[in-house]
Amino acid sequence: MKKRFLAVLMAATMVVGLAACGGSKNEADSTAAGSEAVQETGEFNPDQAEDAMSIEEVREKNGEEVPVGDYKFGMVMKSLSNEFWRTLEEGYEAGAKEAGIKFDVQATTDEGDETGQQTMTETLTSQGVDALLMSPISDSNLTSAVESANDAGVLTVNVNDGLIAKANHYVGPNAFQNGLLAAEWISNKLGDQGDVAIVVGMAKAFAARERTAGFKAWIEDNNSGMNIWAEQNADWDRTKAKDLAATWLTQNPDLKAIFCNNDDMALGVVEAVEEAGTDTLVVGVDGIGEAYDSIRAGKLDATVDSFPYYMAQVAIECTLRSLAGQELPSAVATPQALISAENVDQDAATIINWTAPKYVPAK
Amino acid sequence: MKAMYTKYKRELLVLVATIILGVIFTVINPMFLTWRNILTVFQQMVLNGLLAVGIMFTILTGGIDLSIGCTFAIVGIAVATCCVGGMNPIIAILIGLAVGIVLGCFNGFLVTNLKLQPFIATLGTMSLYRGIAYVVTGGQPVTNVPDSFRNIFNGQIGSSGIRYYVIVMVIVFLLAHMILAKTRTGDYLYAVGGNEEAAKLSGVNTRKTKYIAYIASGLCTAVAGLVMLASLGSAEATAGIGYETNAIAAAAIGGTSMAGGRGTALGTFFGAFMLAVLKVGMVVINVDSFWQYVVTGLIIIIASYFEFIKDDIAAFMAKHK
Repeated sequence: MKKRFLAVLMAATMVVGLAACGGSKNEADSTAAGSEAVQETGEFNPDQAEDAMSIEEVREKNGEEVPVGDYKFGMVMKSLSNEFWRTLEEGYEAGAKEAGIKFDVQATTDEGDETGQQTMTETLTSQGVDALLMSPISDSNLTSAVESANDAGVLTVNVNDGLIAKANHYVGPNAFQNGLLAAEWISNKLGDQGDVAIVVGMAKAFAARERTAGFKAWIEDNNSGMNIWAEQNADWDRTKAKDLAATWLTQNPDLKAIFCNNDDMALGVVEAVEEAGTDTLVVGVDGIGEAYDSIRAGKLDATVDSFPYYMAQVAIECTLRSLAGQELPSAVATPQALISAENVDQDAATIINWTAPKYVPAK
Repeated sequence: MKAMYTKYKRELLVLVATIILGVIFTVINPMFLTWRNILTVFQQMVLNGLLAVGIMFTILTGGIDLSIGCTFAIVGIAVATCCVGGMNPIIAILIGLAVGIVLGCFNGFLVTNLKLQPFIATLGTMSLYRGIAYVVTGGQPVTNVPDSFRNIFNGQIGSSGIRYYVIVMVIVFLLAHMILAKTRTGDYLYAVGGNEEAAKLSGVNTRKTKYIAYIASGLCTAVAGLVMLASLGSAEATAGIGYETNAIAAAAIGGTSMAGGRGTALGTFFGAFMLAVLKVGMVVINVDSFWQYVVTGLIIIIASYFEFIKDDIAAFMAKHK
């Protein structure tokens, strides 16, 4: 008897739980919760930093010439199994070679090894590097390592995500702008009309949260006729993103566009759109090679590329400027651009109007 | 009919609970009960269903196979590489299945010959296989898998929307059911999980039986890898991370005992079906992503509690006959 009672109670909880969740689907609610979460992430937000500058502005203010001394840099990155970080590494190599400095690149074996990354950072500090360029796994795992580096007089630079509030400078793309660029492009394509959806990745790092926030902000600030019809998480997983999009398209074949927090998920969504046979636009973020191929093949519609190859070179240039005593803002925004069928075959340097920094020996 | 009921009452309970869930979703959003949406549910249960039936074999023997998510990725990469290299798709499929068998066999070797705890052994191979996937690909995805391969699984019967991979899954479940319910091997699997010593004393070749369980797991996972590859058209080393947890959940909801010795293919099928209904339904009624985790967790706990409700209902029926 007791058991039966328990069972009924459980079943009742289940129903109430579901109903409660059904109620929480209010769009306004979830939007508000999303932007609050972004603001809560810490005191320092490079996307909203008041003194933030683009690299062009930095060059204009401090002059074209970058003095180079006899320096050694330490770079700490995430897993090289990800194309993005491999490209960043290539950029570091190219930039260091051009500037003529010594460097040591360390990368974790997987994107979850938070303590391993901390150990690498501490080791580099004790080896006596002049500057550390770091891309931490989470917003907190390198905090203590950066504090001891700062104490040891090492210049600390935070490159791309996650976020180190205690680092001297932040160099990376404006993730908020990733979302703005995507929303603007979609709006132009759709004539600012129709239902759009967002596939988010479960955000551990700051950049991912900002992409969604930027996308929503554009729609709100421009009084856009586009309606954010749904927003769901797909854990950065391609299969999950495809399944999610398939469910959406069954429900609403009139869905006009889907914005994904990264290319991996966008490439899964593309398959779902193809199977559903709708003409839904799909836009990703990152600009990985596979995304370029997919755009060329006419499948993916666009991606927002933040050019890690050039981001790395900008990071080295900014670090050298800071070491030379030039005044550098707390955040430097690196070049990014939306890539679609129109510019997919253009040279990246042309798209972002890249000019190499002018390195001169320090006096 | 009555015999069917007593034999499968646990499974039927899961089905009834799933139907109740479906009714709730339909009341909130009538779009849930459309033919296309039901097809979506079946399509989205395929991967988890295949992984769940595979892992069920190992759980039946009192073990577990945590490496399935990684085997899944390796099979995808192997077959994708073969297909992109221009190999005949049928041969590529056979290679994929062979890879699944070999990886499963290695798990079996660790568990039987080296007498490692299955949880620890497959925790090790989980990292080992994932590492192999990274090393082989260098982290690069294998893309542009030709349609000649993809259509084998991804094609549909006429224009009904019923995709071949759904049928493949049903066939795998039927085969698993036949092995477990009709063959001596099935009896041995249950016997090893129920009481290994007793099984050994009564002449069951427990080593061979365990090997069969882990190979079956590898094989079912390989089929899932093929379906994933056909569905996405590309394979990457990071595929399938965390998929083992959903597979275990599906098996457990369907009445597979984690201690071994108890569970059916039908139950696992309904378990995977229930999770797919839940997954699609929550998107259809637009439950917030964070809450989806909470609800899924609650449902798994409640569904596992059916194990006890079942006996309760049986007692109730007996009393009021």
